[in-house]
This record gives sequence, C-alpha cells and structure tokens, in this order.
Amino acid sequence: MGKIILDKMAMQRALTRITYEIVEKNKGVEDLVLIGIKTRGIFLANRIADRLQQLENVSIPVGELDITNYRDDIEHDAVSTDVKMSNNKINFSIEGKRVILVDDVLYTGRTVRAALSAVMDLGRPKSINLAVLVDRGHRELPIRADFVGKNIPSSQKEKIKVYVTEIDDKDAVELIK
Amino acid sequence: MTERYLILEDGSAYAGKAFGSLATTTGEIVANSTMNGYQEIISNQIYHNQIIVFTQSSIGNTGLDQNAYESILPSAKGVIVREYENLATDHFKRISLDKYLKQHKIPGIYDVDTREIRHHLQRRGNMKASIVDVADDHAFDQLHATVLTNQQVAQVATPKPFPNPDEGANVVVVDFGLKSGILRELSHRDCNVTVVPWDFSAAQILDLDPDGIVLSTGPGSPANLPTSVLKMITEVQSRAPLFAIGLGHELFALANGAKISQLNVEHHGSNHPIREIITNEIFFAGQEQGYAVDPKSIDHAQLFITYVDLVNGTVQGLRHRDYPAFSVQFSPDGAPGPKDSVGLFDDFMEIMARRRDNNDDRY
Amino acid sequence: MTIDIKKVLILGGGPTNIGHENELDAAAFERLMALKKTGAKIIYVDNNAFSVTTDEIQPANVYVQEVNFQNTVNIIEKEKPDAVMATTGGLNGMQIAWQLAESGILSSNNITLLGIKPADLRKVMDNQKLRDTLTEINEKVIASKIVANDDEAMDFIREVGFPVIVKPMSSSHDTSRFICNNTDELEDALDVSFKRTYIKRCSIEQSIVGYKEIEMVGIRDANGNKILISGMEDMDPIGIHSGDSIIFAPTQTLINEEYQALRTATFRIMDALNITGTCHVQFAQSRTSSNYFVTKVSPFFTRNTILAAKATGYPLTYVSSFLELGCNLTEIKLPSKYSKFLAFMEPTMDHVVVKIPLWPFRDITDVDQHLNTLMKSVGSTIGIGRTVEEAIIKSMHSSQFSPRDVLPSVSTVDDDDVINQLIHPLASRILILMEALRRGFSIDELSELTQIDRFYFYKLNQLLRAQDFVVNNPLSPQSIEIGHKYGFGDGMLAELWQVNISKIQQMNQNYHNRVTYKAIEPSAGEFLECTNIFYSSYELENESRPFTEKSALVIGRGGNQLGPNSAADYYTSQILRSLHKCGYKTIIMNTNPNAVSLTPQLSDKQYIEPIQLGNILNIIDLEQPDVVILPGNRHYLSKQLKQFKNLNILVLPPDQKVATYNQKHATTAVDLFIEGDEVLPVTTISFVGKDQMTDLRFINDYKEPMDNWQTDEAKLIADASKNIDTHEWQGLVQVLYNTTGDSNYEMTGIRPVRITETAFLTKITGINWINVLVRKYLGKLDLDSLKDDLKPTEHQRSAIMTAHFPFRELQSGRSEGTTKQEVGSSLSFKNFE
Repeated sequence: MGKIILDKMAMQRALTRITYEIVEKNKGVEDLVLIGIKTRGIFLANRIADRLQQLENVSIPVGELDITNYRDDIEHDAVSTDVKMSNNKINFSIEGKRVILVDDVLYTGRTVRAALSAVMDLGRPKSINLAVLVDRGHRELPIRADFVGKNIPSSQKEKIKVYVTEIDDKDAVELIK
Repeated sequence: MTERYLILEDGSAYAGKAFGSLATTTGEIVANSTMNGYQEIISNQIYHNQIIVFTQSSIGNTGLDQNAYESILPSAKGVIVREYENLATDHFKRISLDKYLKQHKIPGIYDVDTREIRHHLQRRGNMKASIVDVADDHAFDQLHATVLTNQQVAQVATPKPFPNPDEGANVVVVDFGLKSGILRELSHRDCNVTVVPWDFSAAQILDLDPDGIVLSTGPGSPANLPTSVLKMITEVQSRAPLFAIGLGHELFALANGAKISQLNVEHHGSNHPIREIITNEIFFAGQEQGYAVDPKSIDHAQLFITYVDLVNGTVQGLRHRDYPAFSVQFSPDGAPGPKDSVGLFDDFMEIMARRRDNNDDRY
Repeated sequence: MTIDIKKVLILGGGPTNIGHENELDAAAFERLMALKKTGAKIIYVDNNAFSVTTDEIQPANVYVQEVNFQNTVNIIEKEKPDAVMATTGGLNGMQIAWQLAESGILSSNNITLLGIKPADLRKVMDNQKLRDTLTEINEKVIASKIVANDDEAMDFIREVGFPVIVKPMSSSHDTSRFICNNTDELEDALDVSFKRTYIKRCSIEQSIVGYKEIEMVGIRDANGNKILISGMEDMDPIGIHSGDSIIFAPTQTLINEEYQALRTATFRIMDALNITGTCHVQFAQSRTSSNYFVTKVSPFFTRNTILAAKATGYPLTYVSSFLELGCNLTEIKLPSKYSKFLAFMEPTMDHVVVKIPLWPFRDITDVDQHLNTLMKSVGSTIGIGRTVEEAIIKSMHSSQFSPRDVLPSVSTVDDDDVINQLIHPLASRILILMEALRRGFSIDELSELTQIDRFYFYKLNQLLRAQDFVVNNPLSPQSIEIGHKYGFGDGMLAELWQVNISKIQQMNQNYHNRVTYKAIEPSAGEFLECTNIFYSSYELENESRPFTEKSALVIGRGGNQLGPNSAADYYTSQILRSLHKCGYKTIIMNTNPNAVSLTPQLSDKQYIEPIQLGNILNIIDLEQPDVVILPGNRHYLSKQLKQFKNLNILVLPPDQKVATYNQKHATTAVDLFIEGDEVLPVTTISFVGKDQMTDLRFINDYKEPMDNWQTDEAKLIADASKNIDTHEWQGLVQVLYNTTGDSNYEMTGIRPVRITETAFLTKITGINWINVLVRKYLGKLDLDSLKDDLKPTEHQRSAIMTAHFPFRELQSGRSEGTTKQEVGSSLSFKNFE
C-alpha cells in the first residue's frame, strides 16, 4: 500500500498556488490556454481553468492532448499525422497563445518533450509553459517545470501515483515503494 | 472572594468576584467566542490594552502549560469569565489560570453574566472598560479620562533582532507583536528564523538574504504605525516571497493602496466560515480582528481578494498579482482555533523552495 | 448541484431498545419536515408502534413493517424509489443499505444511496476496510493481531509496546481478557489463554484502558465543506460504553492542541469516506500524551449525534437532510427563526450540557449491573447550565427513580463497597464518586482508581461543599444564592430544608432572586435573534419572552426508563400538535435529548429543564400559560402541582377513579369513549400473554379487533356500554373481560385506557384519540364529527402491537416480561384470512 504524500487538501492548495503563479508569471490571463496531457493532466487543467474562472471571471479554453504516439521511448508503427492527432481535443487555435501544458507528474521529461512536439505541430504559440502537480526528479532531458505543486524527491524504484476524484474516487498523491 | 467591578464606558457596571491580580486596569473590552485555548488567547499580544470577555462559560479547566503560550509577557488588561477553575495539576506540569494572571498582573473577574455582556457589546459596539474595586463616579471619571496608548506595537514587539536557528529556509519574521504560533509553524518546517523589530528597513531585512519574509500579527490599528513600515513592505514584496498575517495583512493591504476600516464590534472567535474564492470552499480559523480591509478600496490590478468572511463580508485574504506575496487576516497557526488553513505555511515553504531551487528570474 | 429526487425511501429506526430510543424517530420526523419542501414523494418504513413520523406521512406511503433487508427489497421492487435514505435507520439502517449495495439491488434499480456512496459505505461497515482506510490517511487505530505462539506475541509487542490485552480465541462464549503491562504478565496471560483456546490462537490488542473517550460530530457537504458541530467528552474512561457514560459538551479537559487534532482527524475521516451529511467519530485520547486512536466511525444518526445538536442548538437534522441531497452548506435556507448565517457557522457554546444515562435495573434486577463495554442504559436526561456544577446537578435532578426532588445519596454503602464500586462501577456511579469524596478519599487517589480526570472531582467537590453549606444554613439568603448558582433549584432546597416550596418562593421575592432563561443557540450570543430553546440560570439577562397569545405548557416525561416511556413521548408529541390546532402557543419542558416531543417543529418554545416542581413553577411564573398539561401517570407531580389552586392543571389521562378489578386477568377488552353521559364504543382488543397467560401484568400482544369479533363483538360492546357508570368514568375507558371460550365472557374490571394503548388506538382507528382527549378537556370537542368517524365494528384488517423487552441486550435469561419491563413496541397489520 502506498503512502499518501499529498492529501486532498494539499492537492487543492497546490493547484491553487499554481493558478496564482500562472497569473503572476503571465501578468494576467490574456491569450492564455491550458492543455492537459492525458489522462490526469486533463482533469488538473480543468481544475486550474475552474480556478481562473472563479478568480478572474474569464473562461480559459482547455485542450486535451494524447501524446502516446509521440513518445520516443515507445516503439510504434509509422502512422500518419491524422491518426496521431485523432485522440486530441483541442478546439481552438494556439497561434500566438500563451500555452500552459499541464501534467500530473514530471519524471524523465519524455512525456513533456512529446507534448511539446505535439503542440508545435498544431501551430506557433507565443509561449509554452509547463505546470505539474508533482516533480519527482530523475530528468533524462533538459526540461523543467515553470509551475510545480510539490517537489517529491523519490528513488527510481519508487512509484508516484496521482489520484483524481473525477476518475479515481479520491484526490491524493501516493508514493508506492 | 473579593467583590470587584467591571465598568463600561457607557455607564454599565457589573459586579463580580475577583481572581488573578487585584490591579485596577483600563482597556477596550472585547468578547471572544473561541471555545478552546484560553491560554493562547490571554497570552496573545493582540490583546494588548484589551479586556477579554470569554463567552465559553467555563475557563481554566486545564490550567496553563509551557508549550502553549503565544508570548512571554502577556499584555492583556483583564479577563472576564462566567466561571473559572483554579486547576493546575496535570501531566503537562501546568500552572493555574489564577496564578498565571497574578504573575503577570492581569486582573480577572468571574461570576458575571458574560452572555449578557456579549449581547450588550453586540448592541453598543466597541468601548473602553475598567476593572475596579468600587464602581463609583470617580471610577467612571477615571475610565472616561483614560487615553489608551496608540504605540501598542512598540510596546509589545521586540526591540532587537534575534535568531531562532535551524537548517531550513531562511525566514525573516517582522515582529509587530508576534504570536508564537507563527514561530511554531515555521519551526515545524525547519526554518532558520530571524525575528526583527517592526521598524527594520527594507535594506536591513534584505541584507539578511531571506528566502521569505513574514509580517506578523500584532495589536491595535495599522494606522498607528508610521508610513515607513508601508514603504518597507512595498520594497521587500518584490524581492522575496511574503506572507503577512493579522496586523501584517492589514499593513500589506495599506502598502498596496487599500484602505482599512474599524469594525463596529470587534470579532474574536473561530465560528465564522471563511470562503476561499478560488475554490469556493469554506473553512474555519481563529479570527481576532478590530479592523478590516475595505473591499471597495482594493485595486484589482494589484491585488486579488483571496478569502472573505461569509458572515460579516470582511476581506480575509489578499494576494499580490505580480509577486508571490500573500496575506490573511485570520490565524492559520490554529493557536488557538481550527487548523484548517495551516497548509498556508506549506504553501509559503513551497514558494520559498521554488525560489531557491530556480534562482528565480522573477526577482 | 443537488440530486434530483422524485421518490425517496426513508428507513425508520424501529421500536425503542437499548442502543436507540426515540432519537431516530425524532430525526426522521425533522427530516420529513425538511424534505416536504423539496416536493419529493416520501416512502417510509418503520414498525415502531410509537412513531410520530409515520403519522405524518400519507398512510399509503408508510410501510408498517420491520425494518430489515427483505422488507426493504420488497418495498423497493414495488415502489421503485430513486433514492434511499438510511441514516435515520441508525446502524440497522446502514447495515441494510450495505446489503442493498453489496447485493447489487441499488445499482440494478438505479437507486442513489444518499449520505454515503456504496463504495465508501463498504469502507465503514467492513471493519478491516475501515482500518485500512484510516491507516491510509495516517489516523491511528488500535493494533491487534491473532497469534499462535509466544514468539509471534513478542513480535507484536515489539511493534506496539505495552500495555496490551490478551484474549483467547474460542468459539464458546469466553469473555476473559487479560491486561498486560510487562513481559511477565504477558507470559502468564498467554499461558492461561492458550490453555483456554482449542484452536490455539489468541488475540492481542493494544490496550487503551483508561484513555479518555472523546466524541466528535461533524457534517460535510458534497463540495467537501465541513463543520464540527460539537465535541463531547465522556467523563468515564474507555472501558465503559459511551452510552453508559456521563457525557459533557463541550469537551472539558482537552487543551486546544488536542481538541484541534481530533477536529482535524474527524474532517479527514469524513473526507476519506466522502460523507455528505453527518458523521459521529469516537476517539480514545491518552491522558499522558497527545496520542489518540480512532475507535468508532458512525456516518449515521446516533444518540450522541442528536446530543450534539441539542447541546449546541444547531439545526443538524434539517441541514443534514439537504446535505444528503447534495446541497452545499452555503445554499441551505434555514427556517426564518434562525439567522441566515447559522447553517454554515461552526457552533460555539456558552453553556455546559451534561448527559446522565438511565439504567433499567429497578425493573430488571437479575442481570449484571456493572458498567462495561456492553451498553445497558435505556435512556438519558440532560442538564444544562452556565457552569459545570449547575449542569451536573440539573442532570441529576432528573436521573433518579424517585419522583421527589432530592439529591440522592449512597451514604449507607460501606467503605469496602465504595472502593469496589469505584473500580467496578455500577449505575450509581456519580453518587459513589461523591460519596468517596465525602469520605475523604483524595482526588489523586480517586483519579487513579477510576481513571476519571481530576477536573471532574474538583467540580464534584465544589458541589459537595455547596451542598454542605446549603444544608447547614437553612433558609438563609446566602444558601439560596449558592443553591441557585449550583443548580439545586427551589424544589430541591425545599426538600433539603423540609419546608414548603412557597416559603422559598417568598424569600426569592423578598431578595429579588429572579431566575433567568438563556437561549440555546449556536453563536454564543453573537446574533441577537435567537432560537426558542431555553434553559435556566440565575443571572442578569432573561431572554425568554412570554407569549402574548393564548398559551399552553406541556410537561414532558423526562428520560426514558422502562415502561410506557416511548408511548408517553408519542402521547406528549400529539398533545402538542393538538394544542397547536386548538390555537394555543405551545411550550414544552423536557430533559430527554432523544424525545420526539422536543423537536423544534412540534412546539413554539422548548425548555430543557428538570421536570421538578421548582423548575415547573418558575416557568409557569414567567409564561403564565392558560393551561398546564401533565401527560402520563405522574401522581406525585400531579399532587404537588395541584396544591397551587390558581393553576389550570390538566392531567392526561385524567386522574379519575383508578382501575377497579374483580381479578387481574383478562383476555379481551372493550374500549369506550365517554363524553358526558354518552358512551361511544371505540373497538375491541384481544390480549395475548406468553404461554396463554392472562395475568394483566404479562400481556405483551394487543390485537384489534378481538378474536371471534364476527360473532362476539357486538354483544360484548353492548355489555360494556351498559356496565359503565358515566358519573364515574370519562374519556377513554377500557372494560376488561376474561373468556373461558365458547363465547362466554366474564367482566373482570374497568380501567382508563393506558397510554400505550391510546397510542395503539390512534394508530389503528384512524382517529387521533390524543387529540380527542385534549379537545374534550379543553371543551373543544366536536362530538358529532367524532361519531361520524367512529366505526367500532367495521374491521378491514387485524392490527397487532407487540411489546419488546431488553432481556437479550442485558444478557438476561428471562423471556417473559411485565408491562413495567417493556422498552418499546412494534406494530403490524394482518389481513383477515
């Protein structure tokens, strides 16, 4: 059984703080769009959007990104760009936008690298920032998050599991040994 | 059992029985409805120049213990209770409330209708009061003639900086009449704390190379402090993460252009729901306030309102739009009161950690 | 974001028994009042013969059936509700909900379980899952392990440390347990235990004997907002069931750190279980460190949930109904008498509430009367005061068997017995504690022997000193002042000094001692508007304003004991409703926190005050009610009150000629209603005793109509009507017969219809007989319309009321009980064959 590192309250607070920091860093919410990396990143992106709505009374678009086919560490058949995009739900243009990529855990950095490629395929945003709930270290690529909920130093043998009530019936981050 | 009197500025007099010190004192009278933590309340410097009426009817049941003082030299002017229990013996090696009040020359009165006094204050608003031996004209004249000092912070805050060493984040606490609960929370998080006097300049503070700065709680009106304090705040808030509490919050608001107004009836309790605007969730915390930030005076281009009191509508928290600087009116340290918002200290730690790790380019 | 409910099935609490009394019916009743606003159709199942709730719902929507799994399934299949509310069914209700969830009935019928999701319910009801859940959120539970040998036991000890409790595992009924504080004791205990178990297993658990027991009641909404309603502290340590412990609200001996830690833990548990509604969590708190364990989690209505609400004045049942429906705390609109903020403010108290349990040992003597982990009390009373002493004495006023307003004492017990009872407490617990103090036991010694916090001994000591002063200074103004301050009340002072109460009233007038009434409301005086629940204290400000309209004071029954108490509560509730319909402002006084008659919707004003002469006269003095109604057979009180000639006292059922018997046996009864010289037949009843007993004391089934009614009823009614002397009998009267078979009936007596049977008649005849009685004695009876409604010989079905006895709960071997040993009754209907 895992040990809870962030409980519901701490998770909520982390997302709240990330939200404030996004506004702080971007000097507002103009041109802001959120893109959640599937699966849990999407729910976290939605929660950040809800918070921005509460705070600034603006509706920030949220897109969903499925980067399975972009991962360089997963072997897959050559597929066409159309198919690659089929699982994404991004119903807005990212041209000239400030994109905030949202994921649950930042680990090797390969997911984020893939997400960056996927986003770049969609257009030319003004900037891309990365928000993660947990940064557990062990980067294999030169990638760093702009907004971090919690730094959780972990060994590579351990697992970090993020639960969100939307699909898991609880909010928590667990460290599994 | 000596009979003594609580007399109020509006001419009311209450006969009761004396405990604690037999001093004659004058202060503002305030009612506190927190049910636990009389020790923390009485020893909080926020009650400098105030006479505290406890609405919870039985006070003193567990004595007082060394681990739960909010200051070393309490400065409250009196304690009014319905019933007090002179108990001391316990596994925490406690002393009794009576003995404590005697040690610190604070008079107490018991056996009065504290619920009636609470109602009275709700109807009539804040006022001065005295604890006296005889409720005669002379006593009332004295009461009316007494002008309470407005140099409250200077009287209770440390005149010299002092360290509270540890190995974690480097935190400078600006003391306006600091409650120990704040230090306790920082200590739990291994912070290397330096407590500095309230009139330290921004340069003096920044010379200590803080990872973060805390503006502490304290007594009285923020308007009584010189504008140099506000200047200090505007200078440090862009240089290091800032967390302001209580009086610190009021000063933070003033420094960022907001206005402060006095409440008709001071609010001391932990029963008001506080709504976090960003999540719409409610929680509870100890609140001890005579002043509040006027929401209409807030420049939304500079500050977010982060928390509001759902009962009286007062602003309970602010955050700067451009800097990692935030403030709360309530006491998140839970000494006394609910610990629902103690995580704010964790937030502060995270913000400081990010700044350290990234050598953040925002500064 | 409320759940849209069109039809909801609410599970009732069932007949009163040890473990629950009327609080579940009271909760269901309040819930019903709240849900009516939503427009949802309500289906209710309960067979409690004295349920007020079932009267409130259209008969077609009430299932008078035992609240069990199979019946619930049948109702669900027939009614197809879209939601089930189980929390007012207590633990039984939750078990049924669990079965409904596990069997797939909820999901296959697309039914929402309100209050807790099925997956979370499993975490509560399955003990191991609850432990896992609590462990996962870092809340401590008492560790326990099954071991097969000494080595395994030592491994466990190294993990958890001493003290531990060792129990042999055995299928027989071996309840032996050994507390071990060190290795030697452990070895001995294991030695003995392994010999006693033929499966060669022992259980070892961490011992928390002597810990404080703290109870927390919280609420939570679907959005995760939480409020702590109240913390409560059991005076008695862990080891005595909390239902048998004297309980204080608010907590008295916790420091802020400890209190906040338990408050936070309660919230974390409610979060982990996703509760929407109320949750009662029990903790064991160490006396020597900040260490604590979670001992029980009850996400449903319990007696102490209701106590928390009563103690704070927070409208808990009302609010939790909407929380279960998915409402946010901030969205709930309270009835207009409450401040609009109160629903989401955390209650804060400025008074002290003490609850003292009542045990059935006067009526059931042949059982183990020691207080331990097995609950034995059948009721409780509360005392409320501004000081701890006042609250203790006021709760003691009402917790004794004698109707006289005296402070009971156990001064005849010898010293050895005192020590024995300090260690092995009996029902007279608090009296023994006081007696020990009186005999000079030191507080440290007593605290050591009893594991009760010193604080309580200081308070009891103060009380003793006050009592001594009062006793030694009769009729002095200082004695009266001190007596009042400590809650003795004028009635008790009169008893102590052996004078008539009027003497003390006179002195009160001379010295301007005025009683004041304080509101029980959850803001500690922050809001000037207040609820209409009051208690007395001798202070400055009186907050209770008498009604300017016509008003009636109803004197409640006090704490439940065995006998017709639940019925009396039903009776009292109906009197209140009836008075209201007759245009009276109604005032109730009562001390039973679980009474339905104390629910705020049933009266215009409630006083939680000892049911004693002095307290009653004070209320009368303030309220000047047009009529004072005393329900139930309380001859001592009625005699006391009747000495005050200026009072308009109405005793219901009236003190008229007491029963006349030729012999105390009967099989059959004819119930009549007599108004003036008119005799109206009501119905006929067959009595069923165990093993065909006809002794009136041992009747436990009442059947309506009588057996062989088709052939014998008309004849018997005629005979009864003829035999009644209307000069001697008025109101509801029962003529008793004994039959020897073959349609031969011999009249054996006449008696007023007892309260239990009046409730029964009200449930089954379609006529509210309590309302009829109230109207009769207030001169407001419409006899013609009553005659139209009366159909004494038309019967569609047979109704049966069965008395229940707490023998199994008390581990008594007894099976047949007397009417005095009844704890509750169930109702059932049968169609004629």
